[in-house]
Amino acid sequence: MNVSELVKQAGFAVFTKGEDRAIESGYCGDFLSNIISRAPDACVWLTVMNNVNVAAVASLIDCACIVLCEGVEPDTPLYERGKQLGLWILGANENVYETAKTVARVCGV
Amino acid sequence: MQCIKLEYDVDGENFASAGHASESVKRTLKQMGVSPASVRRVAIAMYEGEINMVIHAHGGKAEAEIYPDRIDIYLKDSGPGIADIDLAMKAGYSTATENIRSLGFGAGMGLPNMKQYSDEMKIDSTVGVGTTVFLRVNF
Repeated sequence: MNVSELVKQAGFAVFTKGEDRAIESGYCGDFLSNIISRAPDACVWLTVMNNVNVAAVASLIDCACIVLCEGVEPDTPLYERGKQLGLWILGANENVYETAKTVARVCGV
Repeated sequence: MQCIKLEYDVDGENFASAGHASESVKRTLKQMGVSPASVRRVAIAMYEGEINMVIHAHGGKAEAEIYPDRIDIYLKDSGPGIADIDLAMKAGYSTATENIRSLGFGAGMGLPNMKQYSDEMKIDSTVGVGTTVFLRVNF
Protein backbone atom coordinates (compact mmCIF):
# COMPACT_ATOMS: atom_id res chain seq x y z
CA MET A 1 0.00 0.00 0.00
CA ASN A 2 1.20 3.52 -0.81
CA VAL A 3 1.47 6.35 1.71
CA SER A 4 -1.38 8.39 0.19
CA GLU A 5 -3.71 5.40 0.55
CA LEU A 6 -2.66 4.92 4.20
CA VAL A 7 -3.42 8.59 4.87
CA LYS A 8 -6.88 8.21 3.38
CA GLN A 9 -7.77 4.97 5.13
CA ALA A 10 -6.26 5.76 8.53
CA GLY A 11 -7.36 9.40 8.57
CA PHE A 12 -3.90 10.68 9.50
CA ALA A 13 -3.12 14.40 9.38
CA VAL A 14 -0.68 15.46 6.65
CA PHE A 15 1.95 18.04 7.59
CA THR A 16 4.33 17.59 4.64
CA LYS A 17 4.25 15.41 1.54
CA GLY A 18 6.80 13.30 -0.28
CA GLU A 19 7.08 10.66 -2.95
CA ASP A 20 4.11 8.30 -2.86
CA ARG A 21 6.03 5.12 -2.06
CA ALA A 22 4.92 1.64 -1.14
CA ILE A 23 4.91 0.77 2.57
CA GLU A 24 6.62 -2.51 3.41
CA SER A 25 6.94 -2.49 7.19
CA GLY A 26 6.76 -0.42 10.36
CA TYR A 27 9.05 0.67 13.17
CA CYS A 28 8.35 2.41 16.49
CA GLY A 29 10.97 4.37 18.37
CA ASP A 30 12.27 7.68 19.66
CA PHE A 31 15.98 7.03 20.19
CA LEU A 32 17.49 8.10 16.90
CA SER A 33 20.49 5.75 17.08
CA ASN A 34 18.16 2.77 17.43
CA ILE A 35 16.10 3.93 14.50
CA ILE A 36 18.96 4.47 12.07
CA SER A 37 20.46 1.10 12.86
CA ARG A 38 17.28 -0.97 13.10
CA ALA A 39 14.37 0.53 11.15
CA PRO A 40 13.83 -1.34 7.88
CA ASP A 41 13.69 0.40 4.49
CA ALA A 42 10.30 1.62 3.26
CA CYS A 43 8.83 1.50 6.76
CA VAL A 44 6.27 3.65 8.49
CA TRP A 45 8.20 5.22 11.37
CA LEU A 46 6.05 5.95 14.42
CA THR A 47 7.47 8.37 16.96
CA VAL A 48 6.66 11.17 19.37
CA MET A 49 9.89 13.05 18.56
CA ASN A 50 9.20 16.24 16.64
CA ASN A 51 12.53 18.05 16.24
CA VAL A 52 14.59 18.62 13.12
CA ASN A 53 16.81 15.56 13.65
CA VAL A 54 13.81 13.40 12.80
CA ALA A 55 14.08 14.66 9.20
CA ALA A 56 17.79 13.82 8.94
CA VAL A 57 17.20 10.32 10.31
CA ALA A 58 14.12 9.68 8.13
CA SER A 59 16.12 10.69 5.10
CA LEU A 60 19.05 8.44 6.04
CA ILE A 61 16.90 5.37 6.58
CA ASP A 62 14.68 6.00 3.52
CA CYS A 63 11.48 5.36 5.43
CA ALA A 64 8.22 5.63 3.48
CA CYS A 65 6.75 8.12 5.96
CA ILE A 66 6.95 9.47 9.50
CA VAL A 67 3.88 9.36 11.75
CA LEU A 68 3.98 11.69 14.76
CA CYS A 69 1.73 10.07 17.37
CA GLU A 70 -0.22 11.35 20.39
CA GLY A 71 -1.29 14.54 18.60
CA VAL A 72 2.32 15.76 18.31
CA GLU A 73 2.99 18.27 15.54
CA PRO A 74 6.36 18.94 13.87
CA ASP A 75 8.20 21.96 15.25
CA THR A 76 8.95 24.67 12.67
CA PRO A 77 12.49 23.50 11.76
CA LEU A 78 11.25 19.91 11.26
CA TYR A 79 8.33 21.12 9.16
CA GLU A 80 10.63 23.24 6.97
CA ARG A 81 13.21 20.46 6.57
CA GLY A 82 10.54 17.88 5.83
CA LYS A 83 9.18 20.08 3.07
CA GLN A 84 12.66 20.71 1.69
CA LEU A 85 13.66 17.03 1.68
CA GLY A 86 10.29 15.86 0.36
CA LEU A 87 9.42 13.67 3.34
CA TRP A 88 5.95 12.58 4.36
CA ILE A 89 5.28 13.81 7.89
CA LEU A 90 1.91 12.56 9.11
CA GLY A 91 0.08 12.93 12.39
CA ALA A 92 -2.09 10.64 14.53
CA ASN A 93 -3.94 11.46 17.74
CA GLU A 94 -3.63 7.98 19.25
CA ASN A 95 -0.59 6.71 21.15
CA VAL A 96 2.18 4.79 19.39
CA TYR A 97 0.71 1.37 20.21
CA GLU A 98 -2.76 2.21 18.89
CA THR A 99 -1.32 3.92 15.82
CA ALA A 100 0.86 0.89 15.09
CA LYS A 101 -2.25 -1.31 15.26
CA THR A 102 -3.95 0.98 12.73
CA VAL A 103 -0.95 0.86 10.37
CA ALA A 104 -0.79 -2.93 10.67
CA ARG A 105 -4.51 -3.31 9.98
CA VAL A 106 -4.64 -0.87 7.06
CA CYS A 107 -1.36 -1.78 5.36
CA GLY A 108 -1.20 -5.45 6.27
CA VAL A 109 2.38 -5.13 7.50
CA MET B 1 43.83 4.87 -7.90
CA GLN B 2 40.96 7.19 -8.72
CA CYS B 3 39.64 8.93 -5.62
CA ILE B 4 36.94 11.51 -4.96
CA LYS B 5 37.59 13.75 -1.98
CA LEU B 6 34.82 15.53 -0.12
CA GLU B 7 35.21 17.90 2.82
CA TYR B 8 32.65 19.35 5.19
CA ASP B 9 32.59 21.70 8.13
CA VAL B 10 30.43 20.25 10.87
CA ASP B 11 28.77 23.10 12.72
CA GLY B 12 28.93 22.58 16.48
CA GLU B 13 25.74 22.55 18.54
CA ASN B 14 23.68 23.27 15.45
CA PHE B 15 21.26 20.38 15.20
CA ALA B 16 19.47 22.00 12.28
CA SER B 17 22.39 21.26 9.99
CA ALA B 18 23.56 18.02 11.66
CA GLY B 19 23.46 15.23 9.12
CA HIS B 20 24.36 17.51 6.23
CA ALA B 21 27.73 15.82 5.55
CA SER B 22 26.41 12.26 5.75
CA GLU B 23 23.41 13.17 3.61
CA SER B 24 25.71 14.64 0.95
CA VAL B 25 28.02 11.61 0.99
CA LYS B 26 25.01 9.33 0.78
CA ARG B 27 23.71 11.18 -2.27
CA THR B 28 27.13 11.04 -3.96
CA LEU B 29 27.48 7.28 -3.38
CA LYS B 30 23.96 6.67 -4.70
CA GLN B 31 24.77 8.62 -7.86
CA MET B 32 27.93 6.55 -8.28
CA GLY B 33 25.86 3.40 -8.23
CA VAL B 34 27.17 2.00 -4.92
CA SER B 35 24.82 -0.71 -3.59
CA PRO B 36 21.99 0.53 -1.32
CA ALA B 37 23.20 -1.72 1.51
CA SER B 38 26.67 -0.18 1.43
CA VAL B 39 25.27 3.34 1.12
CA ARG B 40 23.19 2.76 4.21
CA ARG B 41 26.14 1.45 6.24
CA VAL B 42 28.17 4.52 5.30
CA ALA B 43 25.27 6.87 6.07
CA ILE B 44 24.68 5.36 9.52
CA ALA B 45 28.35 5.30 10.55
CA MET B 46 29.00 8.80 9.30
CA TYR B 47 25.80 10.32 10.73
CA GLU B 48 26.63 8.97 14.18
CA GLY B 49 30.11 10.45 13.91
CA GLU B 50 28.74 13.77 12.77
CA ILE B 51 26.24 13.88 15.61
CA ASN B 52 28.96 13.04 18.13
CA MET B 53 30.96 16.02 16.90
CA VAL B 54 27.92 18.28 17.30
CA ILE B 55 26.98 16.97 20.75
CA HIS B 56 30.39 16.58 22.34
CA ALA B 57 33.00 18.59 20.45
CA HIS B 58 31.56 21.88 19.16
CA GLY B 59 31.78 20.56 15.62
CA GLY B 60 34.81 19.85 13.50
CA LYS B 61 35.74 18.62 10.05
CA ALA B 62 34.50 15.59 8.13
CA GLU B 63 36.52 14.31 5.20
CA ALA B 64 35.56 11.48 2.89
CA GLU B 65 37.73 9.74 0.32
CA ILE B 66 35.73 7.61 -2.07
CA TYR B 67 37.57 4.84 -3.93
CA PRO B 68 36.03 2.36 -6.37
CA ASP B 69 35.92 -0.33 -3.69
CA ARG B 70 35.56 1.60 -0.42
CA ILE B 71 35.16 4.87 1.43
CA ASP B 72 37.55 6.24 4.04
CA ILE B 73 36.10 8.81 6.43
CA TYR B 74 38.02 11.05 8.82
CA LEU B 75 36.09 12.91 11.51
CA LYS B 76 38.33 15.44 13.21
CA ASP B 77 37.45 17.63 16.14
CA SER B 78 39.16 19.81 18.73
CA GLY B 79 36.75 18.84 21.47
CA PRO B 80 37.37 17.58 25.01
CA GLY B 81 38.66 14.17 23.90
CA ILE B 82 37.60 10.74 25.16
CA ALA B 83 39.17 9.74 28.47
CA ASP B 84 38.24 6.05 28.36
CA ILE B 85 37.65 4.80 24.82
CA ASP B 86 36.72 1.25 25.91
CA LEU B 87 34.01 2.65 28.17
CA ALA B 88 32.77 5.02 25.46
CA MET B 89 32.49 2.05 23.07
CA LYS B 90 30.19 0.20 25.47
CA ALA B 91 26.62 0.04 24.21
CA GLY B 92 24.38 2.13 26.43
CA TYR B 93 27.16 4.26 27.93
CA SER B 94 26.60 7.96 27.31
CA THR B 95 27.75 11.27 28.74
CA ALA B 96 25.02 13.20 26.88
CA THR B 97 23.05 15.72 28.91
CA GLU B 98 19.33 15.56 29.60
CA ASN B 99 18.80 18.25 26.98
CA ILE B 100 20.57 16.15 24.33
CA ARG B 101 18.52 13.10 25.35
CA SER B 102 15.31 15.05 24.91
CA LEU B 103 16.33 15.51 21.26
CA GLY B 104 16.45 11.74 20.78
CA PHE B 105 20.21 11.25 21.21
CA GLY B 106 22.27 9.93 24.08
CA ALA B 107 21.23 6.28 23.87
CA GLY B 108 24.89 5.32 24.07
CA MET B 109 24.69 3.68 20.67
CA GLY B 110 26.68 6.17 18.58
CA LEU B 111 30.14 4.62 18.74
CA PRO B 112 28.80 1.01 18.79
CA ASN B 113 26.77 1.79 15.65
CA MET B 114 29.83 3.27 13.97
CA LYS B 115 31.79 0.12 14.74
CA GLN B 116 28.99 -2.19 13.67
CA TYR B 117 28.42 -0.51 10.33
CA SER B 118 32.04 0.06 9.32
CA ASP B 119 34.68 -2.49 8.34
CA GLU B 120 37.44 -0.65 10.13
CA MET B 121 37.31 1.98 12.87
CA LYS B 122 40.11 3.74 14.71
CA ILE B 123 39.77 6.35 17.43
CA ASP B 124 42.69 8.60 18.16
CA SER B 125 41.88 10.84 21.10
CA THR B 126 43.75 13.05 23.53
CA VAL B 127 41.93 14.62 26.46
CA GLY B 128 41.90 18.39 26.10
CA VAL B 129 43.16 18.26 22.50
CA GLY B 130 40.57 16.47 20.39
CA THR B 131 39.53 13.31 18.65
CA THR B 132 39.97 11.87 15.18
CA VAL B 133 37.82 8.94 14.18
CA PHE B 134 38.73 6.94 11.08
CA LEU B 135 36.04 4.84 9.45
CA ARG B 136 36.43 2.55 6.45
CA VAL B 137 33.47 0.93 4.73
CA ASN B 138 34.14 -1.56 1.93
CA PHE B 139 31.56 -1.69 -0.85
